[in-house]
Amino acid sequence: MFSGLTFAPARLPDEAEALRAEVRAFLADQMPADYWPNSDFNEGHSPEFTRRLGMRGWIGMTWPKAVGGGERTFFERYVVTEELLAAGAPVSAHWIADRQSGPLLLRFGTEEQQRRYLPGVVRGETWFSIGMSEPNTGSDLASVATKATRVKGGWRVSGTKIWTTDAHRNHYIIALVRTEGTPADRHAGLTQMVVDLKGEGVTVRPIANIAGGHDFNEVVFDECFVADADVVGEPGNGWQQVTSELGYERSGPERFLSAFRVFVEFVRAVGTAPSPEQSALIGRLASHVMTLRKMSISVAAMLQEGANPGVEAALVKSLGNDFEKMLPELVRLALPQMPPEHPFARSLAQTLMHSPSFTIRGGTREILRGVIARGLGLR
Amino acid sequence: MDALVADAAERIFADHVDKPLLDCAEAGEFPQQLWQVLCEAGLHLVGTKDSGTGLADILGLLKVAGRHAVPLPLAEVWVAGFVLGGEDSDGLTVVADDGLVAAWGRRAERVLTLDGRLATEFSVESGANLAGEPRDRIRVDGASEIDLPGEMPELMATTRAALAAGALERTLELAIEYATTRSQFGRTISRFQAVQHQLAVLAGEVAAAVRACDGAIEALDATGFGTQAAAAKARVGEACGIAAEIVHQVHGAMGFTHEHTLHHFTRRLWSWRDEFGNEAFWQRRLGERLAASGADALWDFIAREG
Ligand SMILES: Cc1cc2nc3c(=O)[nH]c(=O)nc-3n(C[C@H](O)[C@H](O)[C@H](O)COP(=O)(O)OP(=O)(O)OC[C@H]3O[C@@H](n4cnc5c(N)ncnc54)[C@H](O)[C@@H]3O)c2cc1C
Repeated sequence: MFSGLTFAPARLPDEAEALRAEVRAFLADQMPADYWPNSDFNEGHSPEFTRRLGMRGWIGMTWPKAVGGGERTFFERYVVTEELLAAGAPVSAHWIADRQSGPLLLRFGTEEQQRRYLPGVVRGETWFSIGMSEPNTGSDLASVATKATRVKGGWRVSGTKIWTTDAHRNHYIIALVRTEGTPADRHAGLTQMVVDLKGEGVTVRPIANIAGGHDFNEVVFDECFVADADVVGEPGNGWQQVTSELGYERSGPERFLSAFRVFVEFVRAVGTAPSPEQSALIGRLASHVMTLRKMSISVAAMLQEGANPGVEAALVKSLGNDFEKMLPELVRLALPQMPPEHPFARSLAQTLMHSPSFTIRGGTREILRGVIARGLGLR
Repeated sequence: MDALVADAAERIFADHVDKPLLDCAEAGEFPQQLWQVLCEAGLHLVGTKDSGTGLADILGLLKVAGRHAVPLPLAEVWVAGFVLGGEDSDGLTVVADDGLVAAWGRRAERVLTLDGRLATEFSVESGANLAGEPRDRIRVDGASEIDLPGEMPELMATTRAALAAGALERTLELAIEYATTRSQFGRTISRFQAVQHQLAVLAGEVAAAVRACDGAIEALDATGFGTQAAAAKARVGEACGIAAEIVHQVHGAMGFTHEHTLHHFTRRLWSWRDEFGNEAFWQRRLGERLAASGADALWDFIAREG
């Protein structure tokens, strides 16, 4: 039968929908004053906002109560995250810990690690970075060269991680390091460890991006000691662990909503008497968002059922990232040029300058297409 | 969708619809034998009052029909049966579009028009779409008034989205099959990354089209069918153009021949994306509604109806 990928129809259940109004009421009340909304999950950092979200129980929503979680469904988390992004709320402080690091620790970490780290994440007070990329390791993640050497009670880690989002603000990084063999050994001998970003032997250097912002960094480990208690999972199992994160990392609403505020400001600027071309563009963009959202919810349903929809997630991310890039390109030509302080121009400029990153972070478009091609049986 | 009915339809289409049949139909010959087989299986009555099937079955079965490029006006027959309640006759009742163009009008006993007339006396001027499917302009000489369901244009647009979703799945299969068998430079062309990436894009468009179409089908028993139908026709239409371009590129010159079956699907994609409102038409419909409700209602609209 059909050899392509299927996204079975799925709807958000009522108990998840019920949260929508609560999140909106919260946002109406709690959006930081003089904050310019931005739907990019990487932009917008507010410790205060993140703590308030934590107080509402909206971080670690699906996690066990034992670590402070809410034991709620993926669908409920989906509603909360999409509402936050659509409103352009500042979510970057907790985003990675909530989406990725927490689930990783719950799946592979020890009970002691879970108790030590996760309650702080749930409160919005503990933030995590992803430590995968290195100067010579980008798409080819298995070539990681940061080295950990066995010492009494733990490991000494040396090497450099790069493009580490928020390493200058976050508390911990989960670093993928080589505990055995050489980069030529590829998938074998890799291990994940929690490293204290403020600890000894760790230097964080800022890297400015093209938009003039400072989000990502270089992180240098120089003989940094990591205790055995901070090794995540079995030493040598790192590759299996990082690849298992990808279903969560790639299919969420953040993979097609990054440019959403530009769409909102476009509709506002167009007003109530749109030209036929402007109407068509609004409808076109809406037809894409509506479809991507349905596909993304279908993947959430697969995750909720415990499946591992790696290929489907790659497809949603790839299609969604292309859409996020297309959106600013299309709307800019459908209105007269605006002065830079105009809300539309401001949102457009902000998103446009961040748009190159959409198809790079979290796996490049080319890598994702390779994953899809493998899913189609082509490689 | 009723799985038994879908299996029966799939089996009949797979057994009977092949390239010779498609070529004959394109030459203007009504596939009488296929129609007879469908009637014997009761499939001419899908959507009618006592059939135990409804609109979701019609649209689900049209995806199956689209996968096989079935050269019969099934969308029109089934929707007409749904609207009129149905009677067990093997005479054709079809639906005409706004411009009074009807699939297989030349063979029809009756034509239902979108302004609510059931024409029993009419003259026909033969025509065809890009795929060579009969699209005949009718002139109504005698008709009775009838009550149409509220969202008839949206429903007809969705029939084309469903047909196209099925045909899109088929073009992906054809392209994968071709890429994994055709060899150049000592290996199958599926080994080339440029080809793999094109097929990955194609898979994305196909998956999006199917999901958008299913969204409209799901909305049949909820609110907001009109919105979902507009979004589906617009999104599927966009996928049609992208997909046709890619599958032809992957097939090389072979796909440009009449002998290969690919064009039965790609020419249908090019036709169906235009029929009952092209992308621009439905994008405007949707966009006008969104613009009218304003920027601050945009997300709510998508979350509620999307
Ligand atoms: C804003 C931002 C935030 C980030 N945050 C983090 C973070 O917090 N933690 C972290 O670890 N990393 C982070 N990254 C890094 C990100 O994961 C990498 O940039 C990404 O994996 C690609 O690696 P690279 O940049 O080295 O590009 P390369 O892998 O060098 O690729 C360069 C180009 O070559 C193409 N290419 C590479 N290999 C192939 C191939 N096999 N086939 C076809 N084309 C290929 C790529 O698609 C790309 O177009 C971030 C990146 C960005 C932009």
